[in-house]
Amino acid sequence: MSENTSVIMPGERVRVVEDAAKNKRVILGPGLRRLDDKVVASKAGPLRHKDPNTFWVDNYQRRYVPARGDLIIGIVKARVGDLYRVDIGSADTAAISYLAFEAATKKNRPDLNPGDLLYARVLNANADIEPELVCVNSNGKRGKLGVLQDGFFFKCSLNLARLLLRESCPALAALTDELPFEIAVGVNGRIWVKAHSMRETVGLANAIMSLEQAGYAEIDKICGDLNSVMQT
Amino acid sequence: MFMNANLFEPGKSKSERSFIQSAVKQNTRFDGRKSNEFRDVKLTFGSDWGTVAVSMGDTKVLAQVSCDIGTPSSARANEGTLYLNVDIKGVAFLDEIQSTHDQRFLTLNSLLERTFRSSRCLDLESLCIAVEQHVWCVRVDINVLNHDGNLYDASTIAALAALMHFRRPEVSYAEEKIHTFSERERELMPLLFLHYPVSVTYCLYKSSSNPLVDPTLLEENAADSIIVLSFNSYQELCTLNAGGTAPTNVRTIMQCARSAANRSKALVQFIRKALELDAERRLQPNRVVGLVDLLSDTAPLLSFKHLMAENVRQEVVQKKISDKPIPSTETVGDEQLPADTKIDEAPMDETTWLSVEQNTWIEQQVKNVQQSLKESTQVAGKTSKSKPNRSKNKASKKPAIRKQDQSDSEEEVTQIL
Repeated sequence: MSENTSVIMPGERVRVVEDAAKNKRVILGPGLRRLDDKVVASKAGPLRHKDPNTFWVDNYQRRYVPARGDLIIGIVKARVGDLYRVDIGSADTAAISYLAFEAATKKNRPDLNPGDLLYARVLNANADIEPELVCVNSNGKRGKLGVLQDGFFFKCSLNLARLLLRESCPALAALTDELPFEIAVGVNGRIWVKAHSMRETVGLANAIMSLEQAGYAEIDKICGDLNSVMQT
Repeated sequence: MFMNANLFEPGKSKSERSFIQSAVKQNTRFDGRKSNEFRDVKLTFGSDWGTVAVSMGDTKVLAQVSCDIGTPSSARANEGTLYLNVDIKGVAFLDEIQSTHDQRFLTLNSLLERTFRSSRCLDLESLCIAVEQHVWCVRVDINVLNHDGNLYDASTIAALAALMHFRRPEVSYAEEKIHTFSERERELMPLLFLHYPVSVTYCLYKSSSNPLVDPTLLEENAADSIIVLSFNSYQELCTLNAGGTAPTNVRTIMQCARSAANRSKALVQFIRKALELDAERRLQPNRVVGLVDLLSDTAPLLSFKHLMAENVRQEVVQKKISDKPIPSTETVGDEQLPADTKIDEAPMDETTWLSVEQNTWIEQQVKNVQQSLKESTQVAGKTSKSKPNRSKNKASKKPAIRKQDQSDSEEEVTQIL
């Protein structure tokens, strides 16, 4: 990620992205939108760029707007016919077919109950129809997707989720130095963590939540503190 | 349940619930508190009389008291009115479907009504200007600014502090005409109280018999049942709100009631102290606290831990000076004693409302109480007192409370005057 932190305002035309789009295809992330041949910002905040071709605006937001291909964590809300309704934090609930799980057939249905957590990918996202999720990749394998068992789950801002997922983010690396754990970060601002013990999980979740207000410089300090907290 | 649940709130998913359940079993809490530890309560007084912001952790509540002159109801022609209004629409993430929103609103409102109105904590007769014609109508508006659990306590503390802080103008009534004196003509008058109730909230879980005090929203949503107890500063029960599915027994409720009584007493002391400090500050010129100051952190905060820590220190100093052993329950003051003796005269009959096994347990408890009675009369008075209040049905409770009120009111009136 380049350290280009130009702040843009909604309605502003973003020339940087347009220039980049002349040579290659670009991906417009949240906060950017295409109007004919122009790229216009729809949110205020610093413009971020990830090589080779992804651009987005990093504004503070807690409400998720579904986008195709996003990895999200949803809560199963209800079962409707051969669909499950899943809450993913967007305006509308998402739907997932029971056939969208690994090795699921009409006879062999996945066992999901209301309240279960799902780590899933957004298959379809359109303003006019409800988002659709899948728990398999194009080869029919589940990979890391599926139901999340045990552990602890909490909500955070979308920024924090994106920050944790950034390759250059020191937070997760620093935390893995401290203790072993499993984590699933949904870009809809939901994080699931699981460590060996209750104490570790609680400490971990609190450390991640405290990153919400932290700047880049403080991340190392907070993650380092975790160790001292655990030992006491 | 999940179709109606607002999943934007914490504590609604299965993994959160089971995590909290097992955390309770291991006696850990998410914010590192002990199961009987409260969050710090902070009070901020506004520049107007009767404006108070209360924050407990991330829970923030703003209370504003106002009054005007209206006509009394025909049933109570010589009494002013107290109206309590709660507004929780300010919390954006609670934009849930109407039925659950109404439910939350109704529980909160009914708790406040029972704590303040049904317990007759205000001396409403003092608010009468002319019988059957003019009375003061006191109105408490409570605005929930942020909800992180335990709205019950936050709003009762806010309402009580605001009512205690409030001053009304003096009026004279002559020849069918009301004359309201301005602040310059005559000093404003505080409201008269008969007693000071505050609530304390406990969460119970199926996995553990140990109740959690002062729950956060996560803990509150994951809880199997929530118990709200309102006690006044004389440690008399004003409201008991127990619901949910967790198996509760007398023991846990008694345990809750005992600590709630102490807590309420401490809270009222804290509010009194905070009011004194605020009164001192008011004497200093050029002190304006606007609404923005009130909600940001620029206004002078009065924190429970800070003020009460001083209290404990003072007590320790006093102890050293007087070299007298202070009884183990130092919260029980002198004003407590008449109430205790009164209850002891009329012991309740527990057999009527308890099952057989519980009766044997109670007998044991009574023995314990009697034993401790010898050791310290004050401790025994407190424990036996909260029982009768709870067990009495409404019919028998009312006269007792009224009797209490009168004795208290005299005390209070003299104090205030």
